[in-house]
Amino acid sequence: MKRYFAGVDIGSTMTKVVIFSDRIEATIIGPTGPEHRKLANKVMEEALNLAQIRFENLSYIIATGYGRINVPFADRQITEITCHAKGLHSLLPTVKTIVDIGGQDSKGIKIKDGKVVSFVMNDKCAAGTGRFIEIMADSIGVPLEDMGIISLTAEKAAPISSTCTVFAEHEIINKLASGETIPNLIAGIHESVATRVSAMVKKLTIEQDVAVTGGGAKNIGLVKALEKKLGCSIIVPPEPLITGALGASVLAKEIFEKYEREGQMPVRSSCGLQEAKIFS
Amino acid sequence: MAGIQNLKGLAKAEKYYTDYGTRAKELRAQGNRVIGYISALSPVEILTASGVVPFRLKGNVEEAITKGDAYMETIVCPFVRNVFDSAIKGKFHFIDGMVLPHQCDSLDRTSDIWRDYLNLSYFHFLNVPHVTDEPSIEFMKEILRLFISTIEDFTGNKITVDSLKKAISLHNENRRLMRSLYDLRKSNPPLITGSEMMKVLVAAMGLPVYESIELIKEIIEDVKGRKPLTDGQRKRIMLIGDQIDSVIITDTIEKAGAYLVMDDISIGSKMYWQDVDEDKEPILALAERYLRKLKIPTTFVDTGGTYEENLNARFGHMRKYIEEFNVEGAILFIYKYCDPYGFEVPAIKSYIEAVAVDVLYLEDEYSISSLARMKTRIEAFLEMIA
Repeated sequence: MKRYFAGVDIGSTMTKVVIFSDRIEATIIGPTGPEHRKLANKVMEEALNLAQIRFENLSYIIATGYGRINVPFADRQITEITCHAKGLHSLLPTVKTIVDIGGQDSKGIKIKDGKVVSFVMNDKCAAGTGRFIEIMADSIGVPLEDMGIISLTAEKAAPISSTCTVFAEHEIINKLASGETIPNLIAGIHESVATRVSAMVKKLTIEQDVAVTGGGAKNIGLVKALEKKLGCSIIVPPEPLITGALGASVLAKEIFEKYEREGQMPVRSSCGLQEAKIFS
Repeated sequence: MAGIQNLKGLAKAEKYYTDYGTRAKELRAQGNRVIGYISALSPVEILTASGVVPFRLKGNVEEAITKGDAYMETIVCPFVRNVFDSAIKGKFHFIDGMVLPHQCDSLDRTSDIWRDYLNLSYFHFLNVPHVTDEPSIEFMKEILRLFISTIEDFTGNKITVDSLKKAISLHNENRRLMRSLYDLRKSNPPLITGSEMMKVLVAAMGLPVYESIELIKEIIEDVKGRKPLTDGQRKRIMLIGDQIDSVIITDTIEKAGAYLVMDDISIGSKMYWQDVDEDKEPILALAERYLRKLKIPTTFVDTGGTYEENLNARFGHMRKYIEEFNVEGAILFIYKYCDPYGFEVPAIKSYIEAVAVDVLYLEDEYSISSLARMKTRIEAFLEMIA
């Protein structure tokens, strides 16, 4: 009988679910949003429908991401750092350094034989995260998903000197008013984020291959800026948003099988597919 | 308040931790004088010998700074700002004075603010040198004598060689007992949790030494009879940092699935690991203890030997703790803008990692505002070393 495992990654912006057997059975990406924050069960239902299995068919479920404690039906919580490393290693085993640019966090992870050996995370400031780009996109009136492609037409990146998100927004509006072009501005925004992220990741000794994950990886302009700052080419996995959830599902399988080998039954969550009661 | 007196051991420590300052307030009401101090570099023996109650000032990580920022720039150490905020809000209304050492810039450069705005009857800036050579020891002896004369003037009590020796002996006894309590963390699992230990450390620093001695004795009795709880294999962690004084951080580490078994923090082992030599002339013995034995990042240690020898002189104690307490991972937790520790971070990290113990370096405010992010880092670190 085929066994199914699930990884649920509740990020600050997006919720991701992967159902895994010995291959990926289904992946779902949906917005986390304020009202969805407690509704990981809804996203899970969609994933189950897609995989055409029932909740009871899942042998083990791991939650990750900053909202990992809000998944009552998960059997265990594991941090996104461990899950990203695991997920990416299962897709691209040659990768030794991961740069993850999420909505609220950015991080650098070094991996060896599929295990985390060191990591860095940004501090609580929004500079150097996806949120920074999101806010800037909003203030210049360009859809977030178009930022990357538009920036490629820039003649010269307009330097953004403020790292503070609020001040940078002022700076951009001023530059816009004084006639700077939108592509140049967007390229400047990407350069600013790339500078912050690369300075942080360089605290780890960067070893190739380098891969980028998270929402930031979907922005071609940002990836190019990051390649320039890091001085090496960067691999973007086919679906860079799901590596955390994928890693969680792979870990779910590994943990379950380890219990099985030891002749034990893993402790499962007693909650069914329900929404989180505690809102934190 | 009478309730606390009926409590014993850990229950009493818990109460003193929660209502920090309770006992000092009572003693003040009974006519004693209370002198505040702020760091491990304050010679509490002299305060005890003068008959005052030494009371270590602390902030509250759960309370936002609302008044202090009007007096101190935000580049000042978040701990110092938070304690000052508490002071200016009148939370230490029961102290008669305070002693502030020449230690880091955040203390030195704000000493006038403490002195001028708190308007205490007694204020002394203890001009501790930062190097440890012979002339500095001579200088340290002089500044200890100066401290003694100011506190004598304030209290009207003469500090004699005998009273100083007696105070030294009491504080050594207090240290010896605290180390015995630490010893109970050496077993696996440890007999006392990191959060319980934190409460004991905080309780002790708000008590006169003879009461601290009694409290620790009771706690040792409480703890040594315990049967160790076996709840699975957990990693043994050492916490390194400066003014960490809240169970919120120790709880975060332990709830993430680790045993917190040792510390190298200002209110912890730094206070209790080095005795004052009772066979030496007391002023010299105190000068040596605070200048040479106490390992703090503001004291510049140069052995005149190789880089490796200097590292051993500065951080050798941490490797000893790792061995004695069977430490498997270290968390180096530094407050933002703490430059003495900031400068030490790369050296401490590589020095510990060289003995195959991983180090998680965290930098944060003296506040719980980013607790969730800290948690993720700590959990990821524990997953990494699992």
